[in-house]
Amino acid sequence: MTTLPLRLRDHPTAGVLCVNDSGRFFATSASFVDRVLEGRCTTDDLHFLDREGHLLRDDDAFTKLAHLYALSKRIVQPGSLDYLILVPTLRCNLSCSYCQVSRAGLGQPGFDWSEATLAAVLGRLDELPGERIKIEFQGGEPTLRPDLIRAVIARCERFLERQFVICTNLQELSADILEIFDRPDVFISTSLDGDAQTHARNRTADSAATQRFLANLNSLVARYPAGKISALPTIDPMAPPDVDALLDSYATLGLDSIFLRPINFQGFARKRHRGSREQQENWRAYYRRVVRRIIERNWEDKSRILEETYFSICLRRIFHPGAERHVDLRNPNPMGVDYIVVDHDGIVYPTDEARMLARSGVIDLSIGDVFNGWNGTARDELNRCSTNQFDPACQRCAYQPYCGRDIVDDIARYGRIDVPRTDTEFCRRHLHLFDFIFELIYSDDPAARYSLARWLRLPATPDQYGITHQ
Amino acid sequence: MIPLSLPVVSDAEVPFVTRLRTATTSGGDAHDAVLIDDDATGASFAATGGLFAVDGVPASELDGDVVLVQPRSGRLERLLRAGSPHNTLLVTERCDQLCVMCSQPPKKTHDDRFDLLEQACLLAEPDSLIGISGGEPTLYKDRLLTMIERVLTERADIEFHVLTNAQHFEETDIVRLRNPLYRRVSWGIPLYSVCTQLHDHIVGKEGALDRLLASFAVLIAAGARIELRTVLLTSNVDELPTLARYISAKLRFIEVWSLMQLENTGFAKRRWRDLKYDHHNRFKPIADALDIMSLHGVAAQLFNFPRCSVPEPYRRFAIASISDWKRKYAPACAECRERSQCTGFFEWHPADEAEAEVMPL
Repeated sequence: MTTLPLRLRDHPTAGVLCVNDSGRFFATSASFVDRVLEGRCTTDDLHFLDREGHLLRDDDAFTKLAHLYALSKRIVQPGSLDYLILVPTLRCNLSCSYCQVSRAGLGQPGFDWSEATLAAVLGRLDELPGERIKIEFQGGEPTLRPDLIRAVIARCERFLERQFVICTNLQELSADILEIFDRPDVFISTSLDGDAQTHARNRTADSAATQRFLANLNSLVARYPAGKISALPTIDPMAPPDVDALLDSYATLGLDSIFLRPINFQGFARKRHRGSREQQENWRAYYRRVVRRIIERNWEDKSRILEETYFSICLRRIFHPGAERHVDLRNPNPMGVDYIVVDHDGIVYPTDEARMLARSGVIDLSIGDVFNGWNGTARDELNRCSTNQFDPACQRCAYQPYCGRDIVDDIARYGRIDVPRTDTEFCRRHLHLFDFIFELIYSDDPAARYSLARWLRLPATPDQYGITHQ
Repeated sequence: MIPLSLPVVSDAEVPFVTRLRTATTSGGDAHDAVLIDDDATGASFAATGGLFAVDGVPASELDGDVVLVQPRSGRLERLLRAGSPHNTLLVTERCDQLCVMCSQPPKKTHDDRFDLLEQACLLAEPDSLIGISGGEPTLYKDRLLTMIERVLTERADIEFHVLTNAQHFEETDIVRLRNPLYRRVSWGIPLYSVCTQLHDHIVGKEGALDRLLASFAVLIAAGARIELRTVLLTSNVDELPTLARYISAKLRFIEVWSLMQLENTGFAKRRWRDLKYDHHNRFKPIADALDIMSLHGVAAQLFNFPRCSVPEPYRRFAIASISDWKRKYAPACAECRERSQCTGFFEWHPADEAEAEVMPL
């Protein structure tokens, strides 16, 4: 018997896209598809399919095993816990209109780690078997508790590879916090919604606070080498900033990576930004405009390379199976295994979005706590569903090898996980994104090809990214 | 050039393996040969196996070497030179392929030295990576695997790299090769083209490519670590992008693909003009192949490519591959900034070519 493990997609610009279960692809014409379906493949067709690893014959053990090997590289096998999102406090000194965790007031008691919670977190760190650790401090505003940040960092000295990311609104820069920032293993992540006006409208409300934030950001950019600071914009699709103004606000700060996110349908946003449940074509069009403008700017000024972070992640997932470890897009998407979120009260969640849902009173997706552990039935129940492997729509989708599964997102938007895949925002978003990426993969535009190469971290710009068989 | 074989005189009856010790503080281990006397041109040692006097190298340069003393032929082989990362053991000179550019032309006879080589491996310096080469080592597959398994069992710090044409792996080997010991073994396997006629012609054996692919099925199933090797020739250079495409599609299980420039020795010496592809004139097929590898996330490296001969974007692939004992640089290399990272030239590379090619960076 001969099997062709191919999925097809009629792509708007590239022709018929054929994607192997292992993610290898080529573009072709409808007439090739007809030849295959009608059993009229030419010698040349068969030779091509064989060379590319698409022709699996019972008597060819080598090709079958090579295919299975490639397939296995698409399946996430999580290692031991080495990535923790810690929320030492839920208190915050800002009140953003779309706050995802419904933050607590600055003076409110009971929203910080207790002594016992800190001790339990440190105990958990001591138990980790690996040599690598990545810790992201979230909030609230974690810099309100430098003492807790310091205690955690001190406990991680034993790890060979350490990375601490402090997610902060940069409203206040105390000497205490600067001392922590100065560590080479500490990285700073902040929110920058575009130009000062947009940022003020979304976040700081008054211009004095905006100026304070921008002054702090500028001083840190001057103080540290490139790569130390990253920033994320949250975009209101109803009122997106001017594309060049947004890119300029990042580029002038030396921030080359822009993670373009629409308002997340979480926390306060569920009430104040109801439209954020489904993204409409105007958001998608805005997204494409930004990426295309980045491509133009990279081509015009080759001294620096801007990128849209999520575009790059998805692009690399197409070509470099197994290399990306972005926990929001993987398959299966193991919950509570290699990364967890520890909230201000010691409760453990599988993802930050799950924490937000609990906080908003939608559903409690906690899987345990730092005192008693989290490897119980709640976690197993989530993991039973956290895959796109057996979804009937995904099984037919050409992009399944590159895609992931986010059951928490489904629950957040629809309150259930069995909505037909193609009716979900997650699916629509990724179909759009992968269609867009393949449009660029098969583009003749030298500027597009140049940017793709840089985003894939290639030494040079290849002649072609995608092959075609007619 | 560092000599690997030295004249020796010994009172022993049979060949023996020993480790040379010239420092007075060391010694006492039954495996060690203790220095008795030395001068500028040689040294004499006492070992359990016998007394011997070696010529041509001062004792200080021999300290720590694991050597094979062969009284009858009067040769001392420096099997594992102390401090060298390039130690390779030749287990046989027989081969079932006859590659057009073979750097070590095979012989008909086989001298079984596995027991002596095993002793040598057990005396290796801590954390050694030992190369195994031939001829074709897997012609004596059971002897080879037994030696490897014994050494790796005894010495948890040692790793092997075995050069093999992979013509002899069978399905029945899968279970054996799945032994966790083999995580410390990588197999260097040549593939010259995915065009059957061309590959088979280059290796001088009909059916070689088909047999190789059958072996790959075994090696994938065993989870073997593989370094794929391709020697660059005028006949296969334009096939490189096709080969790269094939590797990225069907050979993703390899650890790395080594693209190797030709060595001016063995058969290649007298066929140099026909076989040697001068990549200075047209790097494109190599660049295309490397682009395909990078695009699809398969590791690649260039062997025997002096860094100045490689366009800047691809220089990161050009590693210092030529073994220390047979490496040389052209006089013009003296002023090059990248010399310490550069592979240089083989000792036997034509001097006029080397001189003409060098463009110090």
